[in-house]
Amino acid sequence: MSVVSRRVASVPVRTSVGTWKVIVALLTAADHEARTSLEAITNTAAMLISEEYTRDAPIVVVPAAGPRIRVYTVHGMAAVDGDGDEAPLATWPLAEPGWRLSLPCGIDDIDDIRAALQRYPFIDVRDTTEGITVDAVAPAPRTAGSVSINYDEMERP
Amino acid sequence: MTASVRVNTHAYATTHVATNMLRSMKQIIRESGLSISGIQSQWAVLEAGVAAWLNSRHLTGLVLEVYDPGKASGADLVGRFDFTIDYGYYSDGDGDLWLDPDTITYAVRKNGSYPARCEYRFIADTAAGHPTVDGWSTTTFRSTAGFTRHTVGTAIGGGSLGAGLSYYTRSS
Repeated sequence: MSVVSRRVASVPVRTSVGTWKVIVALLTAADHEARTSLEAITNTAAMLISEEYTRDAPIVVVPAAGPRIRVYTVHGMAAVDGDGDEAPLATWPLAEPGWRLSLPCGIDDIDDIRAALQRYPFIDVRDTTEGITVDAVAPAPRTAGSVSINYDEMERP
Repeated sequence: MTASVRVNTHAYATTHVATNMLRSMKQIIRESGLSISGIQSQWAVLEAGVAAWLNSRHLTGLVLEVYDPGKASGADLVGRFDFTIDYGYYSDGDGDLWLDPDTITYAVRKNGSYPARCEYRFIADTAAGHPTVDGWSTTTFRSTAGFTRHTVGTAIGGGSLGAGLSYYTRSS
């Protein structure tokens, strides 16, 4: 399975909400139904970003087709120094129904966050120390395009 | 433990202090035994207001009022945490971006926890002429008569900004 990663600058370059907006724009086009879905969880996602859970444990997007996307956030001096990679993705990973998104969360918050997001079946909330699993191998990409594969990311747990 | 980085940009400082004041308020709420669902459900509005008013220098404080909904109005305050903004904390306008969660934990431990039935609200104390931010409305503070204010020091710093933390306990 291929993996693509991006690193989005967060606080102090952007607020936590500003960071989530950039992530949403990275994953969805303005007219995508998925954008509305992601905007609906802005409060919760931004709060998790403010805790910097997403610095070391990525937001993981599992599209219906195509490579898995890992989105990290960059904080502090690393963000100020531009230590990110916000290049547009080769495709819109949430364009087709059937996608899932996994948010990392600290153990102290996880019960509250899962309760807050239980009405969004496309969102998983996982302990920051855990990886994620998929029920089946994602099918091959349906569209041709330039997909950059970061093999270092594939080595991560 | 204090995490810090060093930059010299007002915009970075205001963003750092704004988001980390909310992050610290969340820490206070959790460590005080209250549900974080209230702050979670208002996060975007809270952050937008605090960031805007810090940037415009109208924000003088961010207050967490904790109240008991089972008590009569006017006598329902059970505690309060205040972040007070100092726009001249670093006189040279420079400085680290830092957050000291241990100061937060110390204040909560000294204050003690609240019964789970208690609720809370946030009040931004602003100077006249502040810009309007969607989602915020005008209100007044609950009376702190019979409470004692305790100051624990600066918990968040950035650029020329400092955010000092204090809390109120009932004294009579």
